[in-house]
Amino acid sequence: MTEPYLRIEKLTKVYERGQVLALDALSLDVEKREFLVVIGLSGSGKSTLLRCINRLIEPTSGRIMLGSVDLTRLSPERMRKMRRRMGMIFQHFNLIRRAPVITNVLTGRLGYMPGWKAMLGMFSKEDQDRALESLERVGLREKAYVRADELSGGQQQRVGIARALMQEPEILLADEPVSALDPATSHSIMQYLEWMNREREVTVLASLHFLSLARRYGTRIVALKDGQRVFDGPPAEIDNAKFKEIYGEDAEEVEVR
Amino acid sequence: MQGYPEGYLSERPRWTTPAGLVNLIGGPLGLVGRRLSMILLDMAAVALLWVLVTYAFLWYVHGDIGYTVIPWWLFGLFVFELAAAWNSFGVAPSQRLSGVHLVPSEGGRMTVWHRLLHFLAWHVSVLPIVGLLGRRPWHERLSGTRTKRVESGAIKPAPWYRTSVGIYAAVILVVVVVAALGVTVSMANLRRLVTDAWRAGNIWRAFFSPDTTILQTVVRDLLVTFFMAVLATAFAVVVAVPLSFLSARNLMKGPVGRSVYTALRGAMSITRSIEPIVWAIVFLVWVTARRAPFAGVLALVVHSIADLVKLYAEQLEGINPGLPEAITATGGGRLAVLRYGVLPQIINPYISFTLYRWDINIRMATVVGVVGGGGIGQRLYAYLQGHMYSQAGTAMLLIVVLVWAIDYLSSRIRAKLA
Repeated sequence: MTEPYLRIEKLTKVYERGQVLALDALSLDVEKREFLVVIGLSGSGKSTLLRCINRLIEPTSGRIMLGSVDLTRLSPERMRKMRRRMGMIFQHFNLIRRAPVITNVLTGRLGYMPGWKAMLGMFSKEDQDRALESLERVGLREKAYVRADELSGGQQQRVGIARALMQEPEILLADEPVSALDPATSHSIMQYLEWMNREREVTVLASLHFLSLARRYGTRIVALKDGQRVFDGPPAEIDNAKFKEIYGEDAEEVEVR
Repeated sequence: MQGYPEGYLSERPRWTTPAGLVNLIGGPLGLVGRRLSMILLDMAAVALLWVLVTYAFLWYVHGDIGYTVIPWWLFGLFVFELAAAWNSFGVAPSQRLSGVHLVPSEGGRMTVWHRLLHFLAWHVSVLPIVGLLGRRPWHERLSGTRTKRVESGAIKPAPWYRTSVGIYAAVILVVVVVAALGVTVSMANLRRLVTDAWRAGNIWRAFFSPDTTILQTVVRDLLVTFFMAVLATAFAVVVAVPLSFLSARNLMKGPVGRSVYTALRGAMSITRSIEPIVWAIVFLVWVTARRAPFAGVLALVVHSIADLVKLYAEQLEGINPGLPEAITATGGGRLAVLRYGVLPQIINPYISFTLYRWDINIRMATVVGVVGGGGIGQRLYAYLQGHMYSQAGTAMLLIVVLVWAIDYLSSRIRAKLA
């Protein structure tokens, strides 16, 4: 019996304001190279879970073991170094809107630079070449010098992916990566994540709203409800009864094709 | 069509109708006025650079800031020539502002010959002013050039009308209420305004016959006021930027942070509620009246800091937290988050607020001068006290020109930044 790649033990998060229990002693093991999709209603704790892993949010209690390292015990500086190995993409892309695409992609290297170089924006030649490569990878090479806010939503999310690629991550945290996009674009974005998972051997943790997307791309699905795990298994196992349990009695499944 | 009043060329009504007559005269007048103001803007820019360079030079030579007095007509000549050269051989501020550059009217590339002709033609066109009439000004016709809008793949301007019935209703309501109040309050004055008009006659006559012999003194005082405002704004920015970070609610968390925030915000709002004039009087006593302009600057600095901290901090509180979060997630440290997560979201508003404050400080510097804070305000007050209305008229005229120019400049730049 070997150690799991990422082990989450009794993770709890209580938001002080309003005393909301976002994660309720959640335990979860993730294997290397899994494409884990987290589903659940808004407020079920999906975002909190992902953000606790790279400690954008500090957990209230519990442990997160990456190999033999307890992420919750790391000093801020060690955690900062650890974050370099974890790419993250966001629902609203979180790009520097007024800056050119290439600058946005280069920010993926900030974790590898001393603070003063970051402050002066002194990116190395290799990093700049790498940025263009990443953009090539997501099909946006010719948009490198266009302002980020001039791109469409799907293109902006691809810039987000290129930024994450720059980190050369082992883990990719995708927080509702397609919720702000239309169905056709959603598939294109999910395929880039799938490519990272298969070709770059990146372990992906993605939260999604649409079950159809979760079934199509996930190798495993975890459903959360009120901060607890209510389903954990391969995509095929979610039937109508399970669906009603996760999303409530009145829910109807919406297909995304 | 650049520079023409709306509809001036497309449809010219017959000049025999009243509207046609207005258009016949008003159209070209507006055109000349616009072109002339652009040229004056360039000359002001040259003059400013000139003054700055001489200041720097004298400081380097004598280790002290001083003036070199050259005859003002010579100064004017230099400024005119340099502005002409700037327009012909480079891209002058006015050209940059209106987003145009010089191209040959026949197509092809600009040559030095074109530029030289343009420079020479400038003299026969701009000096008699009539050269600015017409679809293309004389200096462009004579040199075979024209101005062309610079194409850019940059941002398209947003439509200026973004409005709704609610806004109209609110505006109308405010206008009606203010007008009603104003009329009620000033009724008694309105009658006297008409019947006692003769009293002011002498003053107005004097105002409109400016005394040009004191031009040099007045311009020097105007410069003092100008630099008081520049200096005050610069000082205030240096202090206000760090303070703004300490006064932003979203950055100051925890018990210590929150108390710093509360203390700073409180201190700033008290400081802001005390008028610059009062500060000027305090500082006049403090640094003595021998250094009146310094006292004026200090008064402006204090008030500007309080104002800017509030404006800056509100901007900081309004940033989208997603971007700093994304930079943190890449493993970026504090500085990286500041540089790429926060700075891009605040830099333009900060510049914009600073320009706005500078604009205010120009006017405030005059007001502060009235209580003895140096510069043109003090001079103006002295003239008025001594019933020297012609001289006061000269001073007021120049104040108007300066305030108008700065106001125009800062609003143009701010519009670009928005």
